[in-house]
Amino acid sequence: MIATYAPLFMLLFFAAFLASVFYVAATFLGGQKKPNPGKQAPFECGSESSGGRHLKLSVKFYLTAILFVVFDIEAVFVYPWAIHFRALGWLGLAEMLGFLAVLVVALVYVWRKGALEWET
Amino acid sequence: MLSLFPSNDYLLIAVILGMPLLGAFVNGVWGKQLGKDAVRVMALTAVGLSFAASVAAFVALSQLADQQKGEHVKLVWNAWEWMNTNGGAGGVTVPIDVKFSIDALSGVMMLIVTGVGFLIHLYATSYMADDEGFARFFAYLNLFIFSMLVLLLGDNLPILFVGWEGVGLCSYLLIGFWYEHAPNAAAGKKAFIANRVGDFGLICGMFLLVHYTGALDWNGIANGASSLLHTGEQARVHVWPLGGGQYTGVLSFLQPKSPVTISAATAVGLALLLGCTGKSAQIPLYVWLPDAMAGPTPVSALIHAATMVTAGIYLICRLSFVFVLSPFVMVLIACVGAATALFAATIALVQNDIKKVLAYSTVSQLGFMFLGVGVGAFTAGFFHVFTHAFFKACLFLGAGSVIHAMHARIHDGDPSQDLRNMGGLRRWMPLTHWTFAGATAAIIGLPLTSGFFSKDEILYRAFVNRTVNPAAAALQGRVYAPPAWIGTALYATAVAAAVLTAFYMCRLYFLTFWGEFRGWTVGRPSLLSKHEVAAHDDHGHGEHHEDLSTPGHPPHESPWQMTVPLIILATFSVFAGWLNPGFGLSRQPMEHWLEPVFKEATEGAVVYAGGHDAAWAEHMTLPLALGGIGAFLVGTLLAWWMYVSQSGAPAKRAAEAQPALHRLLLDKWRIDELYDATVIAAVDSLAETAAAFDRAIVDGILARLTALVVAASGTVLRAFQSGVVHVYAAMMVVGLAATGWFFAVPHANATVVDSGNNDYLVTAAPGVGYAYRWDADSDGKPEKSDFGADSTLKLHLEPGRSQTVHLEVKNSFGLIRSKSIHVARPEEPTSSL
Amino acid sequence: MNIALALSPLLVVALGALLLMLAEAFSPRQGGLALGAATVLFVGAAVAGGVWMYGIERLPEAASLAPWLLLDRFGLFFDMLLCLGGGLAALLAGGYLVEHGIERGEFYVLILFATLGAMILASSGDAVTLFLGLETMSLGAYAMTAFRRASPRAAEGALKYFLLGSFAAAILIYGFALLYGATGHTDLAGIGATAATARTPLLVVGAVLVIVGVAFKVSAVPFHAWTPDAYEGAPTPATTFMAVAVKAGAFALLLRVLLIALGDASWTSWAAGWPPVVATLAVLTMTVANLIAGRQESVKRMLAYSSIAHAGYALVGVTALMRDPTQAGASVLFYLLSYTVSTAGAFGALILCGSHGREAVSYEDLSGLGRRHPAAALAFSLFLLSLAGIPPTAGFFGKWFVFKAAIDGGLYWLAILGFVNSVIGAYYYLRVMVYMYMREPAAGAPVALPMRSGYVTAALLVSALFVLALGLVPTRAIEVAVRAATLGAG
Repeated sequence: MIATYAPLFMLLFFAAFLASVFYVAATFLGGQKKPNPGKQAPFECGSESSGGRHLKLSVKFYLTAILFVVFDIEAVFVYPWAIHFRALGWLGLAEMLGFLAVLVVALVYVWRKGALEWET
Repeated sequence: MLSLFPSNDYLLIAVILGMPLLGAFVNGVWGKQLGKDAVRVMALTAVGLSFAASVAAFVALSQLADQQKGEHVKLVWNAWEWMNTNGGAGGVTVPIDVKFSIDALSGVMMLIVTGVGFLIHLYATSYMADDEGFARFFAYLNLFIFSMLVLLLGDNLPILFVGWEGVGLCSYLLIGFWYEHAPNAAAGKKAFIANRVGDFGLICGMFLLVHYTGALDWNGIANGASSLLHTGEQARVHVWPLGGGQYTGVLSFLQPKSPVTISAATAVGLALLLGCTGKSAQIPLYVWLPDAMAGPTPVSALIHAATMVTAGIYLICRLSFVFVLSPFVMVLIACVGAATALFAATIALVQNDIKKVLAYSTVSQLGFMFLGVGVGAFTAGFFHVFTHAFFKACLFLGAGSVIHAMHARIHDGDPSQDLRNMGGLRRWMPLTHWTFAGATAAIIGLPLTSGFFSKDEILYRAFVNRTVNPAAAALQGRVYAPPAWIGTALYATAVAAAVLTAFYMCRLYFLTFWGEFRGWTVGRPSLLSKHEVAAHDDHGHGEHHEDLSTPGHPPHESPWQMTVPLIILATFSVFAGWLNPGFGLSRQPMEHWLEPVFKEATEGAVVYAGGHDAAWAEHMTLPLALGGIGAFLVGTLLAWWMYVSQSGAPAKRAAEAQPALHRLLLDKWRIDELYDATVIAAVDSLAETAAAFDRAIVDGILARLTALVVAASGTVLRAFQSGVVHVYAAMMVVGLAATGWFFAVPHANATVVDSGNNDYLVTAAPGVGYAYRWDADSDGKPEKSDFGADSTLKLHLEPGRSQTVHLEVKNSFGLIRSKSIHVARPEEPTSSL
Repeated sequence: MNIALALSPLLVVALGALLLMLAEAFSPRQGGLALGAATVLFVGAAVAGGVWMYGIERLPEAASLAPWLLLDRFGLFFDMLLCLGGGLAALLAGGYLVEHGIERGEFYVLILFATLGAMILASSGDAVTLFLGLETMSLGAYAMTAFRRASPRAAEGALKYFLLGSFAAAILIYGFALLYGATGHTDLAGIGATAATARTPLLVVGAVLVIVGVAFKVSAVPFHAWTPDAYEGAPTPATTFMAVAVKAGAFALLLRVLLIALGDASWTSWAAGWPPVVATLAVLTMTVANLIAGRQESVKRMLAYSSIAHAGYALVGVTALMRDPTQAGASVLFYLLSYTVSTAGAFGALILCGSHGREAVSYEDLSGLGRRHPAAALAFSLFLLSLAGIPPTAGFFGKWFVFKAAIDGGLYWLAILGFVNSVIGAYYYLRVMVYMYMREPAAGAPVALPMRSGYVTAALLVSALFVLALGLVPTRAIEVAVRAATLGAG
């Protein structure tokens, strides 16, 4: 096993070694650190930051994002089917229609539930 | 009758069983809406009809018995197939049916349960009349009758077990019936635990029976019983090493030279005996019964005296043909019985609570029954069950009547049961007094009463009977023979117990009904001692507004619902003995009636002591009877002298002379405390330890430790630090690591199998990716230098020789573990138990 | 068309779930959804029963879906069991959600989809479909746990459940990945076939991870820690569903994995295979859960620990698989059936005892119930007796068969430990009965006021019927379990 993977391990080791060399070298070669409170503050833009670190985003963003992902994945499934459309024949068509029907039902549900309305 | 129900499909059993169940259901669910009158009618009708059906069935059975003389006849009702299980050494299918049967033995018990049960129901309608839980009480009581009938009529062990658990449940519910009192609830719990220990034995017995005989119904067990005794090792239970096999490795020092084995018959007998001692309150599990008297008195009479507690004796009688296969167990039963009889009697000597005395007397009488069945006198033991049901029910109901009367004056539970507050009650309660006197006469063995005949027969049999192994010839001398003096010892112990019985029962009787009434001042501190009292006619109980500065009205006789059962039971107590009189009187109906049931068991297993013959036994009848009569005379006269002629003064002197002994007896030999300190404490500390572990290890160490780990590396989990979720994850990781470790390390293990012909096969346990290397003689030079797939090694060893095999195992991780296996061929087992 | 017939239990539930989802979206008022969900599930159970009786062997096309879906009697048994458990949970929800003011239609849809996931899980013979079913089931369960949105307790329980559940799912899928690496197969049968010859450590590591992942799903100690929190925080019908259907689905997974993928002699070795591991889990699970359950003051939490303990008893039967897969497997299946109806009944009785937004939680709430509401107390007692394993109830035979399987497999000590544990268990079950029948509530203390709901009553009646029928005439059910357990490899 070792023999098979030895080049891989050597590569990994070499990469890690190089990275650390550059990292350590950069601290010496690069600009000197002189931290002060102003530099430590987030966003050195001159204005006071306000509010907590956790920002509550509206759930609508997540809903939209997840819907996007769902239909994105749908496309991923449809694509290979489309390529082999003839080979898969009527059964393939029926199965794909069933798959799409399920998604349509979900879409209708989401629609009725008002998840697509941005302004409420 | 016979034409209506064929004996192999005797549907009337459904009525016998169904009525009490129906009563319990109706009273339990709708009892409160129905009201007391309806509940009373329902409960009495249910048991009454069940009794009527029982009588009809009994008549049918006796007709059948007349037709088929000497046969073991049964009325059978096979309701449905419950389940079937594969079992037994032969791997046969064991059907377990919901099947009931009435034969001579269960028929008599059925009559007792429904008949005495009906009387006690009647009694309770008055005794419990003012109780809030009236409907609940009768629901439980009816359910008890049903369960007891299931126990008795069940045609196989599982059905019996259902009834066995059912009566236990009812007993538990009824002991705790007045659960507002903490001691009652504790008593219920105690009964529950003691019975569970017993049930464990019964279940083990069932498993062993199904394993060896391949059956669980009475006929099947009887047919397969012979396989419990075999010369071959397959019918012997290995006690040490448990389950056979050999101890190897670090445990090899535990390996005895020859394995300790007992016969399957002994193992079954011991397991069943444990069950019987639990239900029938024998040493060591008797502790629950005296406390069980916390329940209402009719319950004490029905469940804890007349019926349920005799279930153990019933089971021994029912499986008599199994018990006799092990003379050792038979002797043990007799010894347990005799010891309990004497032990409980000593405690009863000094108790002051009227129900406590009767409770210990019940334990003691159950001991007599055990003694009877233990010496192979099943009829005698069972006959005592029969007579005891009447006189002990009568005594308890009489005590209930007394308590009822006392309670009407005192309105306090404990003082109204205290003998020291009674006395002279025969003046006001003539019916209770005379019935109580009759039952007392029976229990102390006044000649010609029922208790005399049944107890005397047991004493006689204890001396003359001896049980031997019926298969002694086939076992080639490996049989247990009890010592020759055992009969004399049992007889002497039983006579001593009988003396004590006579004494404490007379003490109870005299203190309650004779002398002067001592209860005038109880609860009335303003009164001084003696008062003349005029008889009152118009009194009742529940007068809480009475004037406590006057003596109040005297105790009163109970209403007819309570006295009628007393009269009937007392009549039976006195005269029922004539159903089986001893002394060679030619007509012994009970003996004759039960003969077919026990014929199978006693033939060849029960003989006369010392090789004597029947003539000798006949000859011994009178001398041995003198012991019983002498016991009665000594005990009674002593009690008369102490409590009537000297008004209790000698008793006080004796107590003062031996205060420590008196205290010890009063504290019931402190057995409860002993159990508390050992068994109960052990269980408690186990639970405590688990809880402490939870607190200390999981919450304390794990939480902090992981907090450290998580704080160091935590990125994801930190956001969700709800306090404990990381502990949960840590536990999972620990579990994962342990599982991983188990699989990563090779396990060198081997089983040694005797392949016959003095050969052993040593087989290394398989594992994924394992390879093996053997060194048969442990000389450091393996047979093959490479690891291979060969996982077995054959070894030839003569008896008494041994050899150590060295095994090395390598797993797919390349790790190697080794193990030395010591293989020894033991000497042949020699035990005769 | 035959393939559709073979798939019909799954199809019924899937279509039913979609329809119910649409109905929920379009229906202005939301009554009757419980009835719809329960109908779909009971029809699903009936259809599975129909296919069972027709004989799945007469549908050879069913095999064409192997190894992704193994449409065998084992799967059909679980279809029936899961639909029964899910249906009971839906009925209970019909009463509970209304009574506690959180009636929203999603709950029923979630029950249907989660049940569908469990059914897929029980039928799957391949790591991919298996994971699909597992996640469908789990996601539904997570959402149901958090259903009471306003309650911090529910959120906490759900979050813990979700976190640890994802953790376990990751472990499981990683295990399958390693097994794939070691054997080149994702289907269980393929993994099992190569196990005997493969000599790579990857195989062992993968198997360890799979076993641990499944142990989490059946909530075996020490992978149980999420259970009490999640069960307590969830609305009681969701708890019922998790205790019943999710657990049954997980056991189906466990049985398939152990019998098919790890069924080789070297895996079932008592010295170095999974049996000692499963036996240890069983002992730990029974003992720890029983000891802790005895100390709970909340009946709901006690029932949660009790459901952990029952997983331990079932694991006793699983351990015995090493000797006799058919009999021991049948014992586990029967145990799951008896456990399903008893637990659904017990939780149902607890639901029945709460009303108007107030759940019956503590023992004190139930004191004197036997006197005030004899019928409710009687029903509760029946289910508790069954859980305690007292004849003549279903629970008795459940325990009887797993212990018997252990004894037949030579595991006497395991059977004895199981028996000792059931004695300990009897203590806290009977404690509830002591409170119901032998205690009076303290003056002025709040007492449980049973609700009036046809749904809950119906669920209790169905459960009680099963509990009694399985206790009085178990023969038929046992035959079914034995036939279901006779499963070939793949």
